[in-house]
Amino acid sequence: MIVVAAGTNRIDPYLIPALDGVAYGLLVFVAASGLVFCFGVANILNLAHGMLYAIGGYTAAALLDGGWASLALALAVGVLAAAAAGVLLAGLLTPVATGNHLSQALLTFGVALAGGSLLVAGFGPDDPQVQVPAALEGSVLVAGHRYAAYRLVFIVVAALLAAALYLVVRRTRAGMLVRAAVDDAEMVACLGVSPARIRAGVLAAAGALAGAAGVLGAPIIGPGTDTADTVLLLSLVVVVLGGLGSMAGTLLAALAIGEIQTLGVALLPSAAPFLLFAAMAAVLAVRARGLVGNWRAA
Amino acid sequence: MPLITSWRSRALTATLLAAVLTTGAACGDDPAGTSAGGTIKIGLLASLSGTYQAVGTEIRDGFQLYLDTHDGKLGGRQVDLVVADEGNGAQTAVPAATKLLKQDRVSALTGIVGGGSVAGVTPLLNETKVPLVGSNGRPELKDVSRVWHTSYLSDEPGAAIAQHVRDNVKGSVYAIGPDYQGGWDELRGFTDAFGKIGGKLANTDGKTTFTPFPATTNFLPYFARIKASGAAAVYTFYAGSAAVDFVKQYAQSEIKDVPLYAAGFLTEGGVLNAQGDAARDIYSVLNYSPDLDNAENRAFVAAWKAKHDGSPTTYALASYDAAAVLDRAIGAAGSDPTPEAINTAIGQLGQIASPRGTWQFSTVTHSPVQKWYLRQVRQDGRALSNTVVGDLATVGR
Repeated sequence: MIVVAAGTNRIDPYLIPALDGVAYGLLVFVAASGLVFCFGVANILNLAHGMLYAIGGYTAAALLDGGWASLALALAVGVLAAAAAGVLLAGLLTPVATGNHLSQALLTFGVALAGGSLLVAGFGPDDPQVQVPAALEGSVLVAGHRYAAYRLVFIVVAALLAAALYLVVRRTRAGMLVRAAVDDAEMVACLGVSPARIRAGVLAAAGALAGAAGVLGAPIIGPGTDTADTVLLLSLVVVVLGGLGSMAGTLLAALAIGEIQTLGVALLPSAAPFLLFAAMAAVLAVRARGLVGNWRAA
Repeated sequence: MPLITSWRSRALTATLLAAVLTTGAACGDDPAGTSAGGTIKIGLLASLSGTYQAVGTEIRDGFQLYLDTHDGKLGGRQVDLVVADEGNGAQTAVPAATKLLKQDRVSALTGIVGGGSVAGVTPLLNETKVPLVGSNGRPELKDVSRVWHTSYLSDEPGAAIAQHVRDNVKGSVYAIGPDYQGGWDELRGFTDAFGKIGGKLANTDGKTTFTPFPATTNFLPYFARIKASGAAAVYTFYAGSAAVDFVKQYAQSEIKDVPLYAAGFLTEGGVLNAQGDAARDIYSVLNYSPDLDNAENRAFVAAWKAKHDGSPTTYALASYDAAAVLDRAIGAAGSDPTPEAINTAIGQLGQIASPRGTWQFSTVTHSPVQKWYLRQVRQDGRALSNTVVGDLATVGR
């Protein structure tokens, strides 16, 4: 190994944290986009969102055995299970009036507590270990630095996922309905699309996204008793930083969180415990609408 | 436009929730017991639920193993063991200890995983005049008149390995650990002793780097700093899932070839299985290893393996020794082994033969004066194991 951290190259030591910030940020993006969808489109505040991620994480821990087939299986099972949990949530939320955030929060928080206890009862109180495919277990050289192979591949996969999400929202009929619902939910209802169906669809999609993030992100934010809270917290910070309006805002906020949590910690280790919330407070103080405005502006 | 107008309130809701979402809760339960002539009642308090369940279970099983291999007797008296759940800390430990001491009226208390729990229980000991033979957590205590520990003080592992690191590492050492009392003590033990013998830390300001606990699950930013510091070795202390994250990420990081020295808990017990190959070659310092070559240890390990999968840990050993201490103290306390008499007898035990080698209680700290071992994670048959590669200092005041 050659040490390149000479005075002439001050950026070099921070390359890996910056790269890792992208991996972390993309994971937060995939995990949080479901919550942002629910909140922004269906106007549902889903505090059980972290639990949906945890379902994916526990699925990964239970099914992954170091082979590629198990990864595909875990992804399928995790996405389906979390999407099904999302539909179940939509059913439970039917009696709650749209826009009544307190009732939604209480109901989904109750579901999150019960679901979290069920997951712990089912999978045990210890943080289970996740075994990634053997081919990705090692590390690779990136610009002269060693970096975990899994995380490098994760960056590519998560970027593809983000691109696919963008295309679905922009180019498909379902995406059109989603955008229409954001613009004017009452008009969409008048056009004959049942709000209940949109709600179920959005929660299922949010669950699928969270489930996919949970499975693929399990080696990064692993399943455990406090995973659901961590993911919910990060997702809410994304909402605060990025607003509810645009995918660009969500992506920007998620990447900012990723870099704050890695590059920020590398630059200012003593400030690590409160960097994230200091950033959140700063954004709120300067721009109460988040980093990027709403859908119309974007 | 309902969506646009409600965004502010939604942002506020999200902000408030983000601010509030931080804490959790835990609970405990406890069984009861009776007393009769010729028997003695011992209370065992350990985390049988929550974060430290694995350690608590080892402590219960270690004590039980001593009873099982000694006809269920301590000091010639049939033991009525009352087990209670410590939970996650003092909040649950104090009510459980109160029940053991005041309702079950045990003659001695043992176990207790958390240092905070011990601190919480200590006033009760003085109130009820019952001795504690603790087998794990040992906080800084002013009054140790009724507190004994078969484990260690948190700053001892680091102090014991400092000389070895000084002699074998050519260059500066990076010190990193978790930001809580246990982490501060473990790292201070190393850095104080290491500095005294002329060792130099690689950390930028010459001070240990502490990572937020338990929030830190990604150690890569810290590894980048270690790499940039040009350290020739790393000294650390982590336990539980943080130890798994640290070791797995270390093995995939750009400092994977930098030798890693640690307090033994980094690779002790269940975490070693979870770390797998990533833990290979890590050096650690501990007061015990299952492959120590002495008669007591061979008997202890064989008896343990007959009942459990895998090898015993230092946690199980400390609890086994707590039972051995009580065995001898109750026997020496005479025909009426009151809690006071047992406490006095513990202070007069002298040398104690143990699977870890012979040790004795320090008259100052009431914790062991014992030898520490250098271990390395190596292949042992099918599994990885902490293999003793040398003796380190004998530490204790």
